[in-house]
Parts: sequence; structure tokens; C-alpha cells
Amino acid sequence: MALRLQIVACPSPLNKCSPVATPILAPFSLRPHQNHRLPTTTTSTTGIGMKANSSRLDSTGRKTSSIRCYSALTPELKTTLDKVVSSHKVVVFIKGTKEFPQCGFSNTVVQILKSLNVPFETINILENEMLRQGLKEYSSWPTFPQLYIDGDFFGGCDIAVEAYKSGELQEVLEKAICS
Amino acid sequence: MAVTREHVEATLKSKLNPSHLVMSRFVLFFVFCDMFMLDVVDTSGGCGASFSIEIATEQFEGKRLLERHRMVNAALVEELKQIHALSITKALTPEQWKQQEDKKSQASA
Repeated sequence: MALRLQIVACPSPLNKCSPVATPILAPFSLRPHQNHRLPTTTTSTTGIGMKANSSRLDSTGRKTSSIRCYSALTPELKTTLDKVVSSHKVVVFIKGTKEFPQCGFSNTVVQILKSLNVPFETINILENEMLRQGLKEYSSWPTFPQLYIDGDFFGGCDIAVEAYKSGELQEVLEKAICS
Repeated sequence: MAVTREHVEATLKSKLNPSHLVMSRFVLFFVFCDMFMLDVVDTSGGCGASFSIEIATEQFEGKRLLERHRMVNAALVEELKQIHALSITKALTPEQWKQQEDKKSQASA
């Protein structure tokens, strides 16, 4: 119960999906500076975040998904993505940037990778709606973040957390980086 | 129409035939358990559905975690179009679920 109570401490109005992420990280040994990341993120990126959110609302305020009606994954985009995920050992497609993740789930994965001291690249999917939609098809995964290790899709936030806790993530990363 | 947790539960039950399904409501810190061990957490804050799920089913037997998550995502493909965030915190086989429960009761004993 104590764990869950921490959820209230951090939710920001901007990151609607953030409440889950804080308690997820809580069981780990959170470094002090990481505790301050969410509030910083919120204040310094409000403008961008609002834009990203509002573009997904229609006049009734409901989220729209009209872009899903056609395939966003063009052959060109697929080729590009193939190159992107294989050009670095660790690539994460996230909402926001490595410095300022704009979603609690993305932040969680970034913090995990940082804590493991592995070099990784992040790509901000909020900057490109086609990329965002295309990636969902490319990975057959409906949400972000999306973690790629050694060119293979590893999973989303929940899987990264689970693998981090079990030590599997560390193993896979070590293998990838040494290869 | 917003996706309700009843809807998500019904879909998961019919498609994955879970032995255990726990969905949780973060916003109200409201833990809802009924005789089927259902427990729902809604993280939406009232603006768009958002769920956290713990699920155990025999269909996960012999499957990796990524595959298990894909199965849940596939089962909820329609619902996901309206769900803002879906967090699958546990995807276990009934056997793993039992081990987890045993551990819990040991810890609390």
C-alpha cells in the first residue's frame, strides 16, 4: 500500500499516463536526483506537451484515431526504421527526449537504461505523427515507449521493468553491447 | 463510447480465458475484489480510459513475456484504440500465479 501512495505524489496534469510509472520505479533503488526529474520535465516542456496532447483531441474533446484508418508504415519508413534500429545497439522510441521524457512510461525506461550505464539512443515520436503511427505497425506494439536491443524489439515499459527486476535486461544488454 | 473496465474484463475473459485477472484503479486507490479475484485500477484521472492489468492464463504456458504481452494487446486491439494507457504489470501462467500467491502469504505470515 505504501508503494501505491507514492503514485499521487508525482502525477502531472501534462503526462496523463505518468501515474503508473512512478510506483513502478519505486521498488528499485531510486537515485535522489531521479526523484526530481518529473517535475522538471513538466515545467520546462509544457508548451510542446500541450501541443502534442491537443493535436490528438477532436472538437468533442475525445481522443481521435483517424490516422489508424490507413497503413502508416510505408515501405520507405520500414527501410528507414530497419536502419535506425540496427544502427545502434540500444534504441528507444519515446515520448519526449532523453533529457526530458514527456510520459511517465518513457521516463521509466530512460531511467532504467541510464541506471545501467548503457549507451542508448532515443527518438522522440511526438515530433512525427507518421513515425508514431508507423512504429505501432512496425513493432506490432500499440504503445510507447518501444525498446529495441540489437535490432530486435524487446518490449514496452512493463517488459523492460520486469526484465530489469529479473536481471534479464542486464544480460541482454551486456550481450548486445559486447557483440 | 469510453471503454469501461467491465468491457476490458469481459474481452480478456472471453479471449484469454484467464484463471486470474486483476485490474486496478490507481486514481481512487480503490481495490475492488470480487469472488473471481477481480481487481481494477483506473489510472485515467477521468480523462480517457487507462488500465493496469494483472492476468494469469494457461494460454501463456511456454510463451515468453513479450509474446504474452502481445497476446493481451491482440485481445484488446479494439479497446486499445480508446484506451490511453495499458499497463500489463503481470502476465503469468496459473502455476506462476499460485507461486506468487504462496510467496505473498508467506511474507505476510
